[in-house]
Amino acid sequence: MSSSIANPPVDDGRRLAIAATCVAGGAGVIAAMVPLVDSFNPSERAKAAGAPVEADLSGLTPGDKMTVEWRGKPVWILRRTPQMIASVKSTADRVADPASARNAYPTPPYAKNELRSIKPEYFIAVGICSHLGCSPVGPLAGGSNAQLGADPGFLCPCHGSTFDLAGRVFKNKPAPDNLEVPPHKYLSDAVVLIGDDANA
Amino acid sequence: MGLHNTEYKGLLGWIDARMPTMMAEYKRHVSEYYAPKNFNFWYIFGSLALVVLVLQIVTGIFLTMHYKPDAAMAFASVEYIMREVPGGWFIRYLHSTGASFFFIVVYLHMFRGLLYGSYRKPRELIWIFGCLIFLCLMAEAFFGYLLPWGQMSYWGAQVIVNLFAAIPLIGPDLALWIRGDYVIGDATLNRFFAFHVIAIPLLLLGLAVAHILALHDVGSNNPDGVEIKDRLDPATGKPLDGIPFHPYYTVHDIFGLSLFMIAFFAILFFAPELFGYFIEWNNFIPADPLQTPTHIAPVWYFTPYYSILRATTTEFMLVLAVATVLYGVLLFFALRSGIGKAVVAVTTLVLLAGYFVLDPKFWGVVLMGASTLIFFGLPWLDQAPVKSMRYRPGWHFVLLMAFAVVFIVLGYFGTQPPSPVNQYTSMVGTLLYFAFFLLMPWWSRMGGFGPVPDRVSFAAH
Amino acid sequence: MTRILAMAALIALGWAHAPVGAAGGEAPMDKFPLTRSLDLPALQNGARVFANYCLSCHSANLMRWNRLADIGLEDKQIKEYLIFGNQKVGDTMSIALRPADAKAWFGKVPPDLSVIARARTSFEHTGPDYLYTLLRGYYRDAGSPTGWNNVVYPNIGMPHVMWERQGPREATIQRVSNDGKNAIRTVSVFDTAGQGRVTRETLKGAAAEHVEFSFKSADAAAARQFDADVADLVAYLVFMTDPGAGSRVRIGVWVLVFLTVFSVLAWWLNRTYWKDVK
Repeated sequence: MSSSIANPPVDDGRRLAIAATCVAGGAGVIAAMVPLVDSFNPSERAKAAGAPVEADLSGLTPGDKMTVEWRGKPVWILRRTPQMIASVKSTADRVADPASARNAYPTPPYAKNELRSIKPEYFIAVGICSHLGCSPVGPLAGGSNAQLGADPGFLCPCHGSTFDLAGRVFKNKPAPDNLEVPPHKYLSDAVVLIGDDANA
Repeated sequence: MGLHNTEYKGLLGWIDARMPTMMAEYKRHVSEYYAPKNFNFWYIFGSLALVVLVLQIVTGIFLTMHYKPDAAMAFASVEYIMREVPGGWFIRYLHSTGASFFFIVVYLHMFRGLLYGSYRKPRELIWIFGCLIFLCLMAEAFFGYLLPWGQMSYWGAQVIVNLFAAIPLIGPDLALWIRGDYVIGDATLNRFFAFHVIAIPLLLLGLAVAHILALHDVGSNNPDGVEIKDRLDPATGKPLDGIPFHPYYTVHDIFGLSLFMIAFFAILFFAPELFGYFIEWNNFIPADPLQTPTHIAPVWYFTPYYSILRATTTEFMLVLAVATVLYGVLLFFALRSGIGKAVVAVTTLVLLAGYFVLDPKFWGVVLMGASTLIFFGLPWLDQAPVKSMRYRPGWHFVLLMAFAVVFIVLGYFGTQPPSPVNQYTSMVGTLLYFAFFLLMPWWSRMGGFGPVPDRVSFAAH
Repeated sequence: MTRILAMAALIALGWAHAPVGAAGGEAPMDKFPLTRSLDLPALQNGARVFANYCLSCHSANLMRWNRLADIGLEDKQIKEYLIFGNQKVGDTMSIALRPADAKAWFGKVPPDLSVIARARTSFEHTGPDYLYTLLRGYYRDAGSPTGWNNVVYPNIGMPHVMWERQGPREATIQRVSNDGKNAIRTVSVFDTAGQGRVTRETLKGAAAEHVEFSFKSADAAAARQFDADVADLVAYLVFMTDPGAGSRVRIGVWVLVFLTVFSVLAWWLNRTYWKDVK
């Protein structure tokens, strides 16, 4: 009897009991893990700090760029002049991804057009280079900078990537992607909400 | 080739050939550790203590991800965890309920030791490790309680650190050194955070490992106080009354754990503050160095010792003096060696002098400390010829229950504001508390002791 | 079912039992109607009273506006009806009053009210009872700096912010104290203009020290409505001290159901092994 005490045989009754207890116990452990794992997610404070930001466009003159902060990132709003818009139309064959087809920073459907914006006049993009994260300078006029060349656009000072005035990266530059267009929607003609595009 | 011979196959075999310790220790401590088969309800609390320790460490790690150990931010960071961190309230309540349950489990675990003589030879060292764990646990709870930075946190810490200031000569400097400032402040909070989060947990883990290793070297006691290693099966060399820990006690402990969890989670989900005993109401007021709350009391698990501290007043010093003299006389005539008698006489006289030269405040601290340290002495205070209460005269058990009642009554009065009833009951309780231990060498030898069986008494179930 | 569970939680908080007793000279507390805490419209009214009357001097820095979704309010409603400044709905209920200024003007910084319902619980009374009695315990006292006094907290620094809603009242306060040999009963009556008349009589022998008070309202209907509003406000404060209480209790029921099932399984598993141990 003592040998069977030492290594008790696992008969069917025991096997079933073990299985049932393990399944139930496992379910319980997973359920208990959920709040612990969830605690890593952004808290209410983080979500509040990352909430959408309103930008007032009424003071923006043509050719000027304003910057608002959203989720710690600079978001540019460039009021494009007719010449700037024309230059965007002319760079299509010189940019790497003219139709914004790449998906690394998916372009929202309302910005998947030639000018990459809802309103042609206002270009809204996250001012962070898609190469390694520096913030490009601009808008610079065409011919004002050797790296930029004849087209006006933005230039990233870290490794020389250049972007046109719709944020599309020129061919053969270190940056692989166009500048990210953040979710946004117009609350009125003069106010745009960055960070939220529900019912856009 | 350096590889060991292994009986295992596959990945386990690969590991075992290179690190045979893993499976060897598993066999030694789990699958081939033979424990007595007659463990009863009182034997669940050791495993439960281990479970609660792991729980506190895990939940503590998660809390540290969000808590801010800064006097200006601590209180708000706790509410941040409760309200804004996803699942934060659950983690916090696990930790606060776990803290109180740690003490419930440990007190019941110690009571088991008193019931069955678990601290008797050859298990004195296990008991000593256990008492050290108990002291570390109290320190851990004390340091942890400052962290929420509520009124109770602040003033509780202030009072306890000032106890150290009561030590003659070095007291005030010692208190300053502990605090890192002239009052409890940010400096104190930061260092208590370091103690609570890493210093004492490391100590606790080390002591828990030592405690279990020492136990496994000697083998567990049991409710009959019979040494199962005295009756080995000639065929296998294993104790006749032993069963391997795995699978018998693993499945047994899982069942015990599930019942424990019902009690634990009922409180956590339905009454996490437990009427102000697990989380005190005053702690919902942010710490205010300029205003003391009307009632300060330590958390419930410290209240018996707090009662003893408060009972030590000028009046009580007379009682204490008389008791010391009587005890000194008793010892004087009980001891046989001349040196022993001399030591007793001198000590008694020195104490008597001290009682009237030094403040009762100091003696209160001494008595409070003695009330926790006296547990260390049990292996030598208990002189009964048998280990387990089962084979001792019925009145021994009555005395043990009386001690438990005194402990609980002292604890209750420790939560209450001072009053004449409180004062006198605490004084009587203090005397009975110490009498239980200090007179044990005599009363534990008195009475008729039942015949201790060869084999454990076990009813199949 | 939810109401039963939520009541269970409140009972467990110790807030549904009779208080231990008014100690010494503490004013007897009225009982806060606990079921108010389960009534969404009452909680929403309480939130409105809180935002309108309390949130200028008292902050609730640990509570975010959008948490009011738990009492059935939408972001739009919160922004339109409750937030008066330019805070966003994700912000905390902070105020513009600087603590240094508050100390200078009131003598004491008005405490943050985020967890006040639990902070004011003690051995003698529950937090909700205390708040409910305090806010309804003001009387006109021409001799005090603010013109108001309070039966629960004598010489309180906080003025009677909602006096217009309550309407004028006459207060009678009876205090029985012992001077060592005999008991002394002091009766103070304050009229609606705050003028007090005090009569003192010595009773034969000692008596239990206690305080009693009663009010006579000039406008009974207004006073009753005021009581209802204060009940709603306290209900809101109870919610605000622990917004997660409701969901915690609901989850708890399922956890215990699971644990009961698990215990049965564990008991069965234990038995399959232990039946062989002789």
